[in-house]
Amino acid sequence: MDLQLSGVTKIFEPDIVALEDVYLQIESGEFVYLVGETGSGKTTLMRCVTREVVPTRGHISVGGYMLRKIKRYDLALFRRDIGVIFQDFALLPNLTALENVKFVLEIMGLSPKETTERASEELKNVGLWRRRDMYPPQLSGGEQQRLAIARAIVNTPALLLADEPTGNLDPSTADEIMQLLLSINAAGTTILMATHNPHFVDTYRHRVIEIHRGRVVRDEEKGRFDANGLC
Amino acid sequence: MASARYAFRDGWRLVVRHWGLSLLTIFTAMAVFYVIGASTLFVMNVRHIVSKLEDQLTIQAYVKPGVDLDALAKKISALEEVRDTKVITKELALERLRTRLGNQVEAVSLLGENPLPPSIEVRVDKASQVSNTALKIDVMDDVDDVVFAGPVAEKLSKVSNFAGQFSVVLLVVAFLASGVVLFNTIRISVYSREEEINVMVMVGATSTYVAMPFVIQGFLLGFAGALLAFLFVGGTYFSAIVKLKDMLPFLTFIESPQLLYKLGFMLVCCGATVSLIASLLAVEKFIKNAMEPL
Ligand SMILES: Nc1ncnc2c1ncn2[C@@H]1O[C@H](COP(=O)(O)OP(=O)(O)OP(=O)(O)O)[C@@H](O)[C@H]1O
Ligand SMILES: [Mg+2]
Repeated sequence: MDLQLSGVTKIFEPDIVALEDVYLQIESGEFVYLVGETGSGKTTLMRCVTREVVPTRGHISVGGYMLRKIKRYDLALFRRDIGVIFQDFALLPNLTALENVKFVLEIMGLSPKETTERASEELKNVGLWRRRDMYPPQLSGGEQQRLAIARAIVNTPALLLADEPTGNLDPSTADEIMQLLLSINAAGTTILMATHNPHFVDTYRHRVIEIHRGRVVRDEEKGRFDANGLC
Repeated sequence: MASARYAFRDGWRLVVRHWGLSLLTIFTAMAVFYVIGASTLFVMNVRHIVSKLEDQLTIQAYVKPGVDLDALAKKISALEEVRDTKVITKELALERLRTRLGNQVEAVSLLGENPLPPSIEVRVDKASQVSNTALKIDVMDDVDDVVFAGPVAEKLSKVSNFAGQFSVVLLVVAFLASGVVLFNTIRISVYSREEEINVMVMVGATSTYVAMPFVIQGFLLGFAGALLAFLFVGGTYFSAIVKLKDMLPFLTFIESPQLLYKLGFMLVCCGATVSLIASLLAVEKFIKNAMEPL
């Protein structure tokens, strides 16, 4: 799923400029790192792409969906096509770990059997099978993050937005998750990943987009994490 | 359908999770629907009694001596609002007096010649027409005098009308009251799940999907309230009738069980309708907002 932002500016009330005149073109199948200091606008950019936020100016199109005038029902369909790993996880606290993952498949109308099979498999992939009957508040930060990842990828999304997906994980678990994301990308999913982790960016070299105070200040193929000393 | 199963399961979960609120709502709905049911029965009985009494309402037209009774009866029957007429000859009048007096019948015989005047008994269609018709009959040449229960007739028709209007007002008020209570309960559960709703919408749930459990929650509560109210009304009605018949033996009440089944059906339909509307309203705007971007 490809992604275009043209002239996207987001100003939050009263006058916080979170994004300013952002132009981006991401092709289907790319793996892109989004870097930048805290508060630079990475999450806001992703929320524009999920249409949780609508830009003050500019247009966004994702895989043929024009987000500015998308209808409510189409918005639901669009969100089923993409996967999002939220920075704050956004899990459903009253559903068990397994039910959380099953939920996205259920709303897509899959059969109960297929739903259970695929959700179980995804939980195993992120190493949470033993925790399947626990509720999110009972899970550790890292476990919650892995659950959020499982839910985001269980529907094999065409586009995955990953907002700091390894922020709460120890280095070895983080690396496992990174391998998981790379393999999903190799299978065709476009990935946009916001990260503060220099190790990954410098080890698994891909395109790097750097934001500074809401502006794109760098966009290079196989870039390094911190070329300008801004991150 | 998997999503219908989910909606029912989740609607039920909502009822159980907020069980205190659920009980409160069910009892309130029950009280309201009890009032609706009881007042409906009351009004139907008032109507029933009034129509029975109307049947017994007559105008007595006393006739001047020597008049052809049958001809006069025909003339009166020709009036539009008259249902039927009955000729009471001197003999028939005496006969009636005899039966009414029972064993004091000797006193009547003592009078010697029959002193009772002949008359024509007139029945009209509606109680409200009695006074008017009586006037029309009174001005007829052959008629000596008319006797009728004018004020009683008018009061009866007023009671019947008032009971009808009163029940309509009560119905509207009760409907609104139960609607508001259900609306508030659903609102509270919606707000208690505010974050979850936002998450569901973010991962691609449609507004219908998100709304369904709440609508079903409201439906279950309203339905339960109406059903309980019906059982209560049904349970109390017949024992109340038995007592009333003891106290007011001259009145007749509606006693058919069919009536109760109809009432129960009506109550449950009302409960379902009100709760569906209330919960749809409660949830609709909220979910629309959840889908709106920042
Ligand atoms: N809803 C909002 N209302 C007002 N200001 C907001 C809102 N959301 C974000 N901002 C502001 O927009 C700016 C960008 O925030 P954003 O969350 O996009 O940063 P970020 O790059 O994701 O940071 P981090 O690396 O810490 O996650 C910040 O200054 C933030 O305070
Ligand atoms: Mg962020």
